[in-house]
Amino acid sequence: MKLLRADLQVLGNLATTRTGRRLALGTGIGLLLLGMLAWWFAAAVLDNRQVQSLLQRTASDPVHGLLGYGLLACPLVATWLGLALAQRQLFDASELPLWRQAPLSRTRPALQVLARATFLSTCWALALAGPFATAVLLRHGAPWWSFALVPIAVLGGTAPLLSLLLAVHIVLVRAFAGRWLRLLFACLGALASVAFSTWLLLTMFTRSGDRAHDVVAAARTPHELPWTVDAGAALLGAAANGSLDGRALLVVGGWIVASFVVFRLAAQLHPRAVERHLAAEPPIWRSAGRRWPQALTSVVRRKEWAQLLQQPGAVIGFLVFALLVFALAKERVLVGSLLGNPRVPTFALHAVVMCAQWFLAVMLVLYAHMGRLVLWDGPQWSLWVCSPANPAAILRGKLQAVFVLLLWPLLLVAVAGVLVLDVEPRTLLAFSGIAIGGTLAAVGVLAVVGTWPQLMRPDDGHVAQGGRGFLAALLLVVAFELAAAPGVAAWLWLNAHTRHRLLTVDEALAWTPWVVAAAIVYGAVVASLGAWIGARNFRRLLRPR
Amino acid sequence: MTTPTIETHGLGREFAGKWAVRDLDLAVRPGEIYGFLGSNGAGKTTTLRMLTGILRPSTGTLRIAGFDHATNARALKQCLGFVPDTPPLYDYLTGRQYVALVASLWHVERAERDARSERLFATLDLTAAADELCKGYSHGMRKKVHLAAVLTTAPRVLLLDEPSSGLDPLSVRRLKDLLIEEAARGTTVMLSTHGLELAEQICHRVGILARGRLGAEGTVAELRAQNGNRSLEDVFLATTAALG
Repeated sequence: MKLLRADLQVLGNLATTRTGRRLALGTGIGLLLLGMLAWWFAAAVLDNRQVQSLLQRTASDPVHGLLGYGLLACPLVATWLGLALAQRQLFDASELPLWRQAPLSRTRPALQVLARATFLSTCWALALAGPFATAVLLRHGAPWWSFALVPIAVLGGTAPLLSLLLAVHIVLVRAFAGRWLRLLFACLGALASVAFSTWLLLTMFTRSGDRAHDVVAAARTPHELPWTVDAGAALLGAAANGSLDGRALLVVGGWIVASFVVFRLAAQLHPRAVERHLAAEPPIWRSAGRRWPQALTSVVRRKEWAQLLQQPGAVIGFLVFALLVFALAKERVLVGSLLGNPRVPTFALHAVVMCAQWFLAVMLVLYAHMGRLVLWDGPQWSLWVCSPANPAAILRGKLQAVFVLLLWPLLLVAVAGVLVLDVEPRTLLAFSGIAIGGTLAAVGVLAVVGTWPQLMRPDDGHVAQGGRGFLAALLLVVAFELAAAPGVAAWLWLNAHTRHRLLTVDEALAWTPWVVAAAIVYGAVVASLGAWIGARNFRRLLRPR
Repeated sequence: MTTPTIETHGLGREFAGKWAVRDLDLAVRPGEIYGFLGSNGAGKTTTLRMLTGILRPSTGTLRIAGFDHATNARALKQCLGFVPDTPPLYDYLTGRQYVALVASLWHVERAERDARSERLFATLDLTAAADELCKGYSHGMRKKVHLAAVLTTAPRVLLLDEPSSGLDPLSVRRLKDLLIEEAARGTTVMLSTHGLELAEQICHRVGILARGRLGAEGTVAELRAQNGNRSLEDVFLATTAALG
């Protein structure tokens, strides 16, 4: 209990310092915004006629299915946090040496990690799944006490999977600690992070009509829900009809207890697993010792690339991202409806589809690249503050590095276009031109949001990011969507233009150079403006505090 | 008498109503090694961070090599090198790449950079590890790599926060030799330390800070003479107790 109390005191102490308050407020606002988005999404979906008809039925099955659909966020959050944070928390937590030295039981450090991870994942899962479940209960006219069961259902959907993932992690490290296992975990962590971000974007930003279709399909097949989610959904489904399902409550509790027992057994192996983890050879990557240039912008640019190429986890993240882009392209996510327009020539349609895929791919990596501007330099911030270098030159080097890294999605979408859509060379050319303009615009947006002092200010040598990072991510998505608005407007105009007539190939070919030129000019303007504002921001961040 | 390279008048810094440093007057001359002694939380690091421009003073003025942060920040920073207690290394750069980054931030010519850094790597026994990622370095090695990077920029003023902590005896010896060599070349060296032995051995003058105020200042011999020829340790304890 002492460790739990210490963690609670840490949370309580957040309110006593300015940095802590900012951190807590940022995290709170971030989760609140996510919750609000989930609520709007739920409201839009539940307004759908088909979904409403499901809700009006007295039978509990469709409601059960609907609630199960809402609770699906729980195992997703558990998988994401379990894979992306497990290594850091279980084996590299800064308090771990203290816990291991203290006269505590051998399982206590691992249990503390589980408690922290469960708290974090429950907060996330509540923000994502809570609003949908609450909205369903409200629309169904559920009794007041049924709302108190939502956190239990969320915990039941999150904790078991999280415990099992952490337990498996301990067992694997105990048995096979070493470089290859680290690489495997790095791959899984990267995959989980990218997949979770994709799911979040697709859920929050897909049209409610399309989503309602999925919801209805899920509601009609409640038997296909994962076991842990099914029990929580059954509990809430019965509560929605005014009865407390004791059996479902027992099943939820049983899952939580069983997974805890399994974790406790695995936790017996934790001390030896930590020893093996520490003894395992760290992944040192020797550089060829190539001489670096002297010019500041080139050195900063090269520094950003070196940090990426010399960090196995980051390289793996790039490769995992490639797989994801191919999967999205193959499944034609978000672009299926675009391909059905018979009035636009195929080569132009393909270019539009590829632009949409590129937009989605860039959206997925923008936040990570934003970190390169300020966020990830937090521990080194004193170096930048002390240096006499021109802040604009530093930022220029970083933006150049990011621009090159942002060409990766462009390349992937181009290759996917050839493989999946069998696009013509002229389509590739048009797409590449437009996407280069878009990449420039993305760099401009990054330069502004990624250096904004209120979002990125490093505190005492470290960046107090936390929720502010999350808030920044949301702002970044909105800003990038605004920057891409001219492209969307052009597509809408084209649709209106071709409503009563065909767009001929000749017309499309005649327009293409102008569209590409406009995209590049637009991107260059946004990038220049962004770099100018970013340089001002960067200068402000480098001033003494 | 030469003009001081580091000069502060009434320097102070307040954090949420508490004064970490108050009314600090300092004057350190070219070629001088000045030791800043004080208990934990006495304000040594805060003073160094104000001098480097990381923190803004709440009161008072400071000038380094004739420049101040308000009007000539870039010129001031160009002649300043700072070695903090926790070196700001990038885990996924090699030692050599990190030195190149720091040198380019301070506008050092490539040939000069390579010559100086090779010499420093050799002096600090870093040559074998220079092409390894900083992630694998021990605390002492991280400190030495950052020191090499800072000295590659040939600063006129060198500020060091606890420079000997985490270093092995041989490295401490090399550090002392390097600092004496730098001072002999005209560099002003100011270091904060808990190592009274280090202060006695290499510092021309020391200042004892307690509760953010300068309690005593002078050469080690002067301070001892003023306190009945007692050891520096006794002088330190008496001064901090008097201000505490």
